Amino acid sequence: MSRLRWAIPLAVLPVIVLLAYGFWTDPRGEVKSPLVGKAAAPFTLSTFAGAPVSLDGLRGRVVVVNFWASWCIPACYEEAPVLQDVWRDYEHRGVAMVGINVQDKDDAARKFMEQFGFTFPNAMDVGGKVAVNYGVYGVPETFLIDKKGRIRERKVGAVDGEALRGHVERLLAEPS
Amino acid sequence: MTLLIGAPEIGYALTVVALALALWGGAAAVTAARAGRPALLASAERAAVGVWALITGCMLVLVHAFLTFDFSIRYVAANTNRGTPFYYRITALWGALEGSIILWAWLLGLYTLIVVTRYRRRQPELYPWVLTVLLAILAFFLLVMTVPAPPFERLSPVPPDGRGLNPLLEDSGMITHPVALYLGFTGFTVPFAFAMAALALGRTGEEWITITRRWTIIAWYFLSLGLLIGGWWSYHVLGWGGYWAWDPVENAAFMPWLTGTAFLHSVMIQERRRMLKLWNLTLIILTFGLTLFGTFLTRSGIIGSVHAFTQGSIGVFFLTFLALVLLTAFSLLAWRLDRLKGQGELDSIVSRESVFLLNNVFLVAASFAVFFGTIFPLLYEAVWQEKVSVGGPYFNAINIPLFLGLLFLMGVGPLIAWRRASIESLRRNFLKPVLAGVVAAALLRMIGVGNALVLLAAGLVVFVAGTMVLDFWRAARARRRTGDGWRAATIGLLLRQNRRYGGFVVHLGILVVALGVAGSQAWSLQTEATLAKGEAIELGGYRVRFDGLDASEESNHAKVTGTFSVTHGARPVDVLQPAKKFYPQEQTPIAYVDYRLGFLEDVYLVLGDFARDGSHATIKVQVNRMVSWLWLGGLVLTLGTVLAVLPDRRRPA
Amino acid sequence: MKRRAKFLVGGAVILAALVYLVYAGVSQSVVYFVTPAELLAAPAPGKTYRLGGMVQPGSLVWEPRTLDLRFTLSDGKATVPVRHKGTPPDLFAEGRGAVVEGGWSGDGYFKATTILAKHSEEYKAPHDPSQAGYKELLKTLRAPQEPR
Repeated sequence: MSRLRWAIPLAVLPVIVLLAYGFWTDPRGEVKSPLVGKAAAPFTLSTFAGAPVSLDGLRGRVVVVNFWASWCIPACYEEAPVLQDVWRDYEHRGVAMVGINVQDKDDAARKFMEQFGFTFPNAMDVGGKVAVNYGVYGVPETFLIDKKGRIRERKVGAVDGEALRGHVERLLAEPS
Repeated sequence: MTLLIGAPEIGYALTVVALALALWGGAAAVTAARAGRPALLASAERAAVGVWALITGCMLVLVHAFLTFDFSIRYVAANTNRGTPFYYRITALWGALEGSIILWAWLLGLYTLIVVTRYRRRQPELYPWVLTVLLAILAFFLLVMTVPAPPFERLSPVPPDGRGLNPLLEDSGMITHPVALYLGFTGFTVPFAFAMAALALGRTGEEWITITRRWTIIAWYFLSLGLLIGGWWSYHVLGWGGYWAWDPVENAAFMPWLTGTAFLHSVMIQERRRMLKLWNLTLIILTFGLTLFGTFLTRSGIIGSVHAFTQGSIGVFFLTFLALVLLTAFSLLAWRLDRLKGQGELDSIVSRESVFLLNNVFLVAASFAVFFGTIFPLLYEAVWQEKVSVGGPYFNAINIPLFLGLLFLMGVGPLIAWRRASIESLRRNFLKPVLAGVVAAALLRMIGVGNALVLLAAGLVVFVAGTMVLDFWRAARARRRTGDGWRAATIGLLLRQNRRYGGFVVHLGILVVALGVAGSQAWSLQTEATLAKGEAIELGGYRVRFDGLDASEESNHAKVTGTFSVTHGARPVDVLQPAKKFYPQEQTPIAYVDYRLGFLEDVYLVLGDFARDGSHATIKVQVNRMVSWLWLGGLVLTLGTVLAVLPDRRRPA
Repeated sequence: MKRRAKFLVGGAVILAALVYLVYAGVSQSVVYFVTPAELLAAPAPGKTYRLGGMVQPGSLVWEPRTLDLRFTLSDGKATVPVRHKGTPPDLFAEGRGAVVEGGWSGDGYFKATTILAKHSEEYKAPHDPSQAGYKELLKTLRAPQEPR
């Protein structure tokens, strides 16, 4: 009997293990985006600096498309420095980054870009067509497009620097 | 890099210092407990006071930030904006994960203070251990506030405006629900701490139970209240006209309530007959563990639900802590196993001990069934790699028979004799109430009630009420024989035996809730239609006419309101205005329910779609019967609890 | 000893009853979660499913008079037409994820009895209160209404 008593605390362990398993599996009901694997919808926009930017012109490069807005708090504020950092590291390595500003005001958007010192091209999605084509229903959302122009990753919510770099490296390693 | 000191840094510093103090206090308390060092104990007490003061400071910093629109704190920016009304800016404090942890810690700190002032002299031996346990748990929550869920993260650069509060939380129910629920959860920490202290010292008698009796009742009450308020919120905000969906988050709060109720009853057996020592200790450990599990379930998002919150590393922290708590507590239990042999025995199946035991079995079975149903999807996926969900039908199928059984036991328990009930006493106590129950069910059947479950529930309710009336009347009559008038007899009885009759009133509250549940499930009606202006729809004798749409702007949202006139026959009943609220930070509009509360039935309207020119509106109409009885039952529960915790008149408190 | 045996038997009976209730309850109300591709691979009329997917933009048809709601759920590999009676819950919209509970009708569409919505705290809608569409909505509703 005296040894058997320790079965009581030990009985706790299987329950904990089960819960731990539950913690590490994906949450229920998550739907992978149907856009992943498909060709990215083309767009042609005019940047805040006045220059044109189009997806077709970026074929052959790994493209990071980020949808943002100045009123998107706190997520866009958290990921903006991350994006700028990643851009600085990869701009000469065959990566393109395009920021697409949705449903925002021109001066608020410019202020946002200035605050975070964006040096990659950003354009306002006038008419909201690009957001619709990409199935964007919230900001921020970030898409990773490979060298062949296919959407490979979609991240809803603020991007994580390490994850983003990991994806970019992976796509850079692929043949054109 | 310049050193920035603002609200986020101050708040964070307070949190870290509080954590350090809690750790120091816990270490000091346990050393004082083992080595009997009064100076260390005093230091631990001061640490406890300091911890609470610091947590209060954290709350004040956060509230101040909310009130002054200080969006440099991420939590403030994520949960309010410049349009959020004043009072919601304060209650946004517990609107999301990080803030709710602060609330928990603050309430626990408050309880710790009460323990310090109350038991420092009264229980000098148990007290240091109790303090250790409480400070250790406080330290854990402070650790969570420091590492995985810090409320004082800085947002840089400071955004011009915030995101705003989840509109579903802009409601009176959501102001009170978390507070009541957490008062209940943290309330069970104190009996748990005393149980651990009793085990550590080997004082496994009834002492720890007697001391914590009121704590248990009050914690149980707040947990019940929290569940009812949650049901109320679900009913009048979420727009589906229901109050309970067996959602994992709801189940997470229900399980500790079930084991807590079992505990509340089984300790009475230990007090009277010195039995069930091991069982009671196990129950309080399980209850406390379930409160932690409930928090873990809600806040880590491991089980998908309509209310799933964001995932993060917080799950790891909670799971590890839960594992530590359970392993430590059950190890203590195993260590003292030989001192936990009961001194009484179950003499007969027909006895109060047996009824209470059955009550416990049913409640624990219900808790296990709910637990199993909640984690079953996980299990299934682990073994068969397929995703499944377990819905309402399972939970109803298990719990309805168990609760009907509990209703029956609720009537039998308070009156049946201890040890062994004779046939004569059974007849004397139960014949009339049983007859009353049967007659009531028969009458209902005669007037057309066909639903078997409702008949059974109604019969049981009348039976239980009958036993209470019989008992009270007999006792009052006995008092009258000593010369009191009726009024003096009844009041004297209530005050003298406030524990017993407080319990009766609480049971009465449960009966009211049970009737409300039965009635609303069996008799509620629902329909949906699109109406042109002037058109009406009929349901349950009510006529609902669409009068028009209107648009307006509030401080933080825009609103489209539909006006509907409700009449019953020729009599005008009300003008209801369900609306759709458009919050800028929400992807879709949020429906705002309007309803008319009635004693027997509520008329409940939800605005669905509407035509842009205001000519048509799609409306969902419900006539919900007896839902108000749930809230009424809550009121009765409150009265019963107050009566039950009154200080004893017979001996000094 | 006899008393002990009585209690053990009683306990075993209660345990057995509980296990049976749990087993029966679970097997009756377990609902399988499927994606459109999984459903179309082996649709079984009469079985309750939870179908999860993305509401295809442009597929939503709402008929207010008859309360008929139709849309298509897609997972990128397959699409399933869904029909539902009644207004959808608040958080339901095109281009968003949705989970519906119901059964395969046998007529080529999924008959949804419930639409489940999930509230997430992560993102913000592309919606600005000062934008045209939003204010337009308020304007049309504030227009002087025809007398009845």
